[in-house]
Amino acid sequence: MSFNNMFKNAMVDTNRNKNIGMITYLFHRITGIGLVIYLIMHTYVLSSAISGEKSFNGRMGFVQSPFFAILEVLLIAGVFFHLLNGARITICDFAGLTKSHKAFFWIEAILFVAIMILTIILQIPKMQSGYYTGM
Amino acid sequence: MAEKVSNQSLLTWFLQRFSGIFLAFFLFTHINVNHFAHGKDLIDFALVHQRLSGSIYWKVYYLLFVPFCVFHALNGIWAILADYRPSGGFSIFSKVIFWVIGLILIVVGAMTLTNLF
Repeated sequence: MSFNNMFKNAMVDTNRNKNIGMITYLFHRITGIGLVIYLIMHTYVLSSAISGEKSFNGRMGFVQSPFFAILEVLLIAGVFFHLLNGARITICDFAGLTKSHKAFFWIEAILFVAIMILTIILQIPKMQSGYYTGM
Repeated sequence: MAEKVSNQSLLTWFLQRFSGIFLAFFLFTHINVNHFAHGKDLIDFALVHQRLSGSIYWKVYYLLFVPFCVFHALNGIWAILADYRPSGGFSIFSKVIFWVIGLILIVVGAMTLTNLF
């Protein structure tokens, strides 16, 4: 399989097998890649602490605004999809319950929706003006 | 030779699961404390310093969190690449790149934490 066509191949595979396992597999990879990119950005922002308090507060002030509060919802969605799907894979695999993976997916889906509703409720105050206090 | 490669893949597969289980517990606490618990209060140096300097548990927690995160992230990307059977040259090249990125992230992460302690 050509390495250059990895994205195309992933799409072809998903298109051929439109089932829960395949779609969650694709999302697990997409969220995984996204979270790695986030981890590098997160390290960059926080590493300003090495230059001292003023530098840290400047960069931390920049990333705490209504706009970033909206992006945070997307981040937390990525984290909890990856977390819950990973937990499902691990539980099904180690407990020998792979035949029930679809039932576990619906448990995962319910937990995900519940966590995201809670997240949005907790993030709404930060999305309103007045959250950003300046650098 | 083939057996050696498969054993290594099995080990990294297992370590991916192992670090994943750890991260699941770490992340519940991390997200609750840093994204939800403060409401609209701005998170700044003083606040993070107060939390991290107050307890040895937070220090150990974050010093473990960083390498687990970096390992899980880069090993995950490596697993995706390995799925597409990269050539020997690319495989070695990407492993070197991942080790360099990983070590930089862990060192920078640890330096960041010790500055906040």
